Amino acid sequence: MAGRGASTSILAAERVGLELRFQTQARRILEDISFEVAHGEIFTIVGASGTGKTTLLRILGGLQRATSGTVRFRGEPVAAPPEGVVVVFQDYSHALLQWRSVARNVALGLEGRIDAAAQAARVHEALQMVGLEPNAEQYPWQLSGGMQQRVQIARALALRPEAMLMDEPFGALDAMTKAALQDEVLRLHARTGTSFVFITHDIDEAVYLGDRIAVLGGSPGRLHRIIDVPLPRPRDQIETRQRPDFLHCRLDVHDAILAAGKG
Amino acid sequence: MRFNPSGTATILGVLAIWEAAVRGGLVTFEYLPAPSGILVAGRGLLLSGDLIAQTAHTLGAVLLGWIIACTIGLALGLLLGISQAARRYVEATVELLRPLPGIAFLPVALLIFNFSLTTELVVMVYASVWPVLINTMGGLQSVAARLHDVGRTLRLTRPRLLAKVLIPAAAPALVVGCRLGLGTALVMAIIAEMLGNPHGLGYAVVSELQAMQPERMFVYVLVIGALGLLLNGVLVAFSRRMLAGYAEEHD
Repeated sequence: MAGRGASTSILAAERVGLELRFQTQARRILEDISFEVAHGEIFTIVGASGTGKTTLLRILGGLQRATSGTVRFRGEPVAAPPEGVVVVFQDYSHALLQWRSVARNVALGLEGRIDAAAQAARVHEALQMVGLEPNAEQYPWQLSGGMQQRVQIARALALRPEAMLMDEPFGALDAMTKAALQDEVLRLHARTGTSFVFITHDIDEAVYLGDRIAVLGGSPGRLHRIIDVPLPRPRDQIETRQRPDFLHCRLDVHDAILAAGKG
Repeated sequence: MRFNPSGTATILGVLAIWEAAVRGGLVTFEYLPAPSGILVAGRGLLLSGDLIAQTAHTLGAVLLGWIIACTIGLALGLLLGISQAARRYVEATVELLRPLPGIAFLPVALLIFNFSLTTELVVMVYASVWPVLINTMGGLQSVAARLHDVGRTLRLTRPRLLAKVLIPAAAPALVVGCRLGLGTALVMAIIAEMLGNPHGLGYAVVSELQAMQPERMFVYVLVIGALGLLLNGVLVAFSRRMLAGYAEEHD
């Protein structure tokens, strides 16, 4: 983590904009978005649907090029997925290789890069972190949705990323599973110190997980506000959510989303 | 394959009625043999070695032609499936050639390669390359965009993406293409043997026809049917094993 001057940010968006051409018509999707994600931070992004959250995450992850502005990872401009950044997608059933066992899914990003013993050790470690060791030899389609999403998270962890970008990863899961996985993310965060950018449309989730919350709104999507979350860590599903400052923050985000929609 | 008693009973019933109809003089086509006659002729052909020799030729030709067709079809399908530039140049040609019935090429092949195995292979390969090619290309093109994203965010190199993600994802389609290709190869081999290469089961059917040996002719026809059944069965069993890890149903 040494090096780059006084910069503590790992990931930065500098006036990022995206304009897509549909036949003859140009449509602006994102406009003038700037923020910095600090080392080890959980940065959540909320916004109504259609505000370009997913697109923004794809740009941050190097899966899509911005048409204006720059994304920097460790100070270097991002043009393609950089080493150290991994995206976790919402639709786990499409993002997993259905013909590979859980362990071999997790190994996918390591194959051919490190020797077999090191690979097995990393896969083991990643599966252990998400509690899926007993399921290593099962196939994704034999697992529940929550477990499948854990496989995808383990696959990202196996690369030991410095930043994990998660696109509404728990959007398709039921409330209980969702809460369990939120705590999983918090545990992984505490254990690995990985930075997270976490997209969600669930305000409670954004507050519960985040250090800061970026509120996106409008069309084209703009960054409306960045809200600090004053809650201490470790967080707890019952206790944290009952705190007055949790409720206050939640209301704040809610109002910001409404205001962003009008603005 | 499981034993199917009800289905077998029907087949035996049909054979019994056929036998009775011919023997009892109910049907009096001059050249319609009874099943028992066919059985006797089959035994004769088996003992003389003719049946085995002709079957060996056809089976060998089909497998050879099929392997060539699969090689060409998979290679071209792969290229067209992953390269938009290749599609731009080649797709029109494919669409132009594909509807052309392979059998129409037989006279051309005959003219160039004479009555030979080459003629038989050319016709077979031409016809059976299409299902392989089209399924391979389509299979690769329809791999979910998400899997491309996954490959990119995991920083797989292009060859690795192809080998570890795209081809395995398209594998069921590739297998279907190869299976369809095998069926086509058998049909085309028989036709080519009837008209262009005087060997094998197709030729045997025609020569027994010319020799007025309907019992023997039927033997060869039945063996062709059995060969088709056998080849398809082997391939289905093989593809089940190969694709064992694939989900039966995706939700």
